[in-house]
Amino acid sequence: MKRWIAIVVIVLVAMAVPQVLNPSGYWMRVFTLTLLFAAMAQAWNLIGGLANQLSLGHAAFFGIGAYTSTILLLKFGISPWIGMFAAGALGGLAALVIAVPTMRLQGHYFALATLAFGEVARVIANVWTSLTGGPGGLSVPFVPPSFAAYSFKQLLPHAYIALVALIIVTVIFEVIRRGAMGYRLRAIRENAAAAEVIGIDTTKVKLQTAVISGVLTAMLGTLFAQVAVFFDPDTAFSAASISIRVALIAIIGGVGTAVGPILGAFFIVPIEELMNDLFSSGAAGLSQLIFGVILIVVILWRPRGLVTIFEALRARLQGRGAQS
Amino acid sequence: MTILDVRGISRRFGGLQALSDVTFSVPKGQIVGLIGPNGAGKTTFFSTLCGLIKPDSGAIMLDGTSIVGQKPHKVAGLGMTKTFQNVALFAESSVLDNVLTAGLLRHDVEKARERALACLDRVGLRSVAHKMAGNLSFPERARVELARALCTDPKVLLLDEVMAALNPVEMQEIMDLIRQLRDDGITLLVVEHHMRAIMAICDRILVLNFGRLLADGSPREVANDPVVIEAYLGRSAEGHV
Repeated sequence: MKRWIAIVVIVLVAMAVPQVLNPSGYWMRVFTLTLLFAAMAQAWNLIGGLANQLSLGHAAFFGIGAYTSTILLLKFGISPWIGMFAAGALGGLAALVIAVPTMRLQGHYFALATLAFGEVARVIANVWTSLTGGPGGLSVPFVPPSFAAYSFKQLLPHAYIALVALIIVTVIFEVIRRGAMGYRLRAIRENAAAAEVIGIDTTKVKLQTAVISGVLTAMLGTLFAQVAVFFDPDTAFSAASISIRVALIAIIGGVGTAVGPILGAFFIVPIEELMNDLFSSGAAGLSQLIFGVILIVVILWRPRGLVTIFEALRARLQGRGAQS
Repeated sequence: MTILDVRGISRRFGGLQALSDVTFSVPKGQIVGLIGPNGAGKTTFFSTLCGLIKPDSGAIMLDGTSIVGQKPHKVAGLGMTKTFQNVALFAESSVLDNVLTAGLLRHDVEKARERALACLDRVGLRSVAHKMAGNLSFPERARVELARALCTDPKVLLLDEVMAALNPVEMQEIMDLIRQLRDDGITLLVVEHHMRAIMAICDRILVLNFGRLLADGSPREVANDPVVIEAYLGRSAEGHV
């Protein structure tokens, strides 16, 4: 009951925030991107948290999503709403192609292999000029504003779409985590041989998880393209600012929990922006340095993520309740 | 009626012939003991039966279906699973979740939870259902393994030293449970070092030595078989096992 009240309050606050921000201002953009990155970290959390496989290649799905819908819009005038589903299909297919050879890898090896796949996707996008426009990038063409065309005069509607996307991805994550698939994923994570012996098709479960994560990430790539308006292979398929950042958000927030990626995104994305805002006029790289120091301090203070702050608080409150 | 039929199973690891032409068949509802000196190939054999290890040659039929080369989850689906000698629980999950996960093989989550609680009842661990599996004592964890295997609704259950480290009372409970399971129609293969327990509960005993089937007979026959005595105690021994 308390949990539901908390969820409703948080959603209401999130809905109210865009109303007080400048409808097309800088902080509206930060808020929208924060929601999108929270949703992406949540999609990553399926593999990184539930299956405990550290993927550093999610930019592949993200870039595929951004490019698919934008190319469909440019070449055939197809609304990004529909392009989003084509993006999801291709993202899922890419996830399958990557998961089949990497699935058996553990730990660092899986991380490196997925990182390599992400980089391969970036290189392909750079050289396949006839399809992607190459290093010059793509601009989302201007379409008369309407909801059906996924085109708006202000950023405000994008913020709400991102919020809805975050809610949907979080619900999917929770349903999987609590359902039969969640039990199977935990079993595989803790002892793959035992999981097989008691009847879990470990290959199938891992592939399913990778595909769901790939589909969701690609669809979020489409949403990003609509917000960004312009992107090139090095941004949409970026190892540092997409793959690693998404993993970092989930890890700083707390992997394997639904709250973790949301906390992580609302910590990392605004702070990174704030650091850039405050220090970019100073020495070159100062803002990145300070941001890095903050991350190190947080990870030393809360190795299992910011989500543990709430766990500790709850334990303390319950402890006090028991004493009185 | 034969439930498990093993024909000429061999498996080599590099220079070691871990299993060599193992052949036998088990009728439904028997309790079969599998004994042998350390390193005789007992655990390798169980792993081969349930699909974790592929044999180099040979055939395995479970209830009329060939299972050689099938993945373990397929074998479990067809009705055979095993417990792990060194206990392979999902240590960071609750006892209930460990067992429930096995129930998902044939049921949805709600039904699997009911099944899991029933299985925990059978091994006498219902009271610790919500404890984390990794926090239990070793004998308790072995019983969770047993409950988890049971929750897959097996026709054939392979128990790899579930009585290790049990006190006499607990051992008696497990022996009673094994007999009950047999009466429920489950066929059991049991690896155990406690000779007294093995002799008491098994209808039949197989002796493995250096991967080779050395003897196959009733507990009395096997205990008096000079070849078996020699394998266990060395040539000079003349006496009782």
